[in-house]
Amino acid sequence: MRSIRFHGRGGQGAKTASRIVGTAAFLEGLTAQDSPLYGAERRGAPVSASTRIGREPIRERGLILQPDLIIIADESLIDDSSARVLDGLSERTAVFVNTALGSEQARDRFRIPGRVTALDLTDMTLRQFGKPVALSAPLGAVACRLLGLKAESLRAAVAGELADLGLPEAVIERNLALAASCYESVPLVPVEETAGAMPAPVPLWTPVYEPPTVGSARISASANSPLHETGGWRTFRPVLVPDKCNGCWLCFVYCPDGVISMTKDDLPLIDYDHCKGCQICVQECPTKALVAEREQEGAGTWRAK
Amino acid sequence: MAGEMMTGNLAAAWGARLAGVDYIPAFPITPQTEIVEALAEWCDCGAMPARFVMMDSEHSMMTAAGAGAATGARVFTATSSQGLLHAFEVLYSVAGWRVPLVLVNVSRALAAPITLEPDHNDVLAARDAGFLQIHAETCQEVLDSILMAYRIAEDERVMLPVLVNLDGFYLSFTREPVIVPDPEKVAAFLPPFRPAHLGFKASAPHALGVAVLGGTPYTYFRHQMHLAAMNALQVHREAAADFERLFGRRYDVVEGYRLDDAEDVLVMSNAFATKGRAAVDAARAKGRRVGLLRLRVIRPWPAEAIVAALRGRRAVGVLDQNLAPGLGGILVQEIAATLYHDPERPKAICSFIGGLGGKNIHEGEFDAIVARMEQAGKAGRGEGPVLLYTEAEHREMAQLQVLASASRADR
Ligand code: SF4
Ligand code: SF4
Repeated sequence: MRSIRFHGRGGQGAKTASRIVGTAAFLEGLTAQDSPLYGAERRGAPVSASTRIGREPIRERGLILQPDLIIIADESLIDDSSARVLDGLSERTAVFVNTALGSEQARDRFRIPGRVTALDLTDMTLRQFGKPVALSAPLGAVACRLLGLKAESLRAAVAGELADLGLPEAVIERNLALAASCYESVPLVPVEETAGAMPAPVPLWTPVYEPPTVGSARISASANSPLHETGGWRTFRPVLVPDKCNGCWLCFVYCPDGVISMTKDDLPLIDYDHCKGCQICVQECPTKALVAEREQEGAGTWRAK
Repeated sequence: MAGEMMTGNLAAAWGARLAGVDYIPAFPITPQTEIVEALAEWCDCGAMPARFVMMDSEHSMMTAAGAGAATGARVFTATSSQGLLHAFEVLYSVAGWRVPLVLVNVSRALAAPITLEPDHNDVLAARDAGFLQIHAETCQEVLDSILMAYRIAEDERVMLPVLVNLDGFYLSFTREPVIVPDPEKVAAFLPPFRPAHLGFKASAPHALGVAVLGGTPYTYFRHQMHLAAMNALQVHREAAADFERLFGRRYDVVEGYRLDDAEDVLVMSNAFATKGRAAVDAARAKGRRVGLLRLRVIRPWPAEAIVAALRGRRAVGVLDQNLAPGLGGILVQEIAATLYHDPERPKAICSFIGGLGGKNIHEGEFDAIVARMEQAGKAGRGEGPVLLYTEAEHREMAQLQVLASASRADR
């Protein structure tokens, strides 16, 4: 059995990518299992998904703790300790990072002990679509290639999964083309099979009563939504082109995080400390006065206070 | 008898008043309304220095109660039946926050169909929420149990909310003599609440009950609640001893009646246990060695006390005033599981379902229970669930159905 753990931000397509790999393996007659894990916050929050493929029945469930392959959709996740992207990594784990850096540079920059391979999927996706869209097909393609799954299986899986999401035919076609080129371009690192070691019995432990200061579920996250900054969740930031804005307030209405306020001249003001980059405002703006720019290249890079 | 004539509802309100509660978020529902009305009036006229706030539903009421208790205030609230179910989601949260408030439930059967009289499917539905549960038999016990409830809830070894249950109509609107304890003695029994760790306040943003997202911390905290509930057995013993010393009345987790030489034992809870005692006396008069065990504390489950009281008996009959469709009685399952590990367990356990929706349990039905326990004990084999429902009642039901069908719109 081989196990693949995907890490992305809500909305980037990690979950769909894990399904693409599961379906591709299934179509090749392998046994497969895929499952996502995500928290209360959606778009922009760290998300992971696990896929297991093999020749024998799969007798595991849930999050993969010791992955054979880790696929990272967003390099900003590596520095985010809550995302735990490198958990369970060993020398023999293959790691893929979506980054503009080369494989060697990425390994050094992110200090990853395993075998690292890299490709700028975001750039390839932008060139194909001209706007930031989900990376599910490219991520799935890279994983399929590293696992040695066939190009036709990938093609059928992408077509099937994206059709399930309700995407129009034309968009699926472009995703198929993109998936094919990612499949061809990724530098190959073979993914080894997990050795099936017999687990040792675990000693059980019954906790004793502890005083309520310790034993109550009062996790002292001494913060609230305003204090908890989510600017680091962004890959793309919405940027205002003021002379196109007609002051209709729609962006203000649609922002799910309520981080757009309107000035007295009816211009939107975005709180970048809390804007998670979901791009809903960009999509809803009737005059295209809001545009998405790459966080690292365009309007600047956000830093936590 | 000393004291004054008082309903169970008023006794509950007096419990809150004597406990010196700080905050009462409230929402009325029959048959609990009188509690809310009494407290509202006392707060309004200055007899009680508490803050009384009328909420928009039981859900908000329970949320406010939990949040209020998390600031370190002593909080009281009350509900009933469908109201308890409406607050249900929040019960688990509040217990998980480990805040020691007291919630009174006035038992009333759950819809549908609707009746205002009690059975215990409402309160027993909440038995796994993490609230401790005390079930009262008399109006006096309602008042006293509220004082004991705060004492137990606020103990550092426990820190869990407590639910005190009383039956609708049979206690809520039933007057009987109640002694109102002396406030100075109450102060000695129940010192002011000075929590070491509760300090939820608006000026310091702090997340309460945040997501832990993962089974390991969840398991740890849930198990801590279990240990806290188990600690409550010892804390209850201490509180009961102090209560007896100060007020002369003693409350144990279970209460036995004529158990000493009893061969067969009837197990009951709540207000109808009074009728159970009369039934025991009647059976004794006929020479039958019968006794009664009343379950007073249902959470924590007083397993040891139950085993001690029922060990070596010939037969046990559990009268559940609830019905879990597809199973039968709820409490009989817990009793049977508790006795199973005891090598001297009774030879037979019988299950009876009665008093649903406040339906009376007649003397004759108790007679039948005693006879069936005896039979089962001799045969060494229990039976049930047996529904306490008579032929006469069935005739009455058939008449009602004729009336209903005559007035049906679809004919
Ligand atoms: S400002 Fe725009 S991109 Fe940022 S959170 Fe709001 S809708 Fe999403
Ligand atoms: S939706 Fe577009 S046009 Fe309307 S206020 Fe926002 S930026 Fe301006």
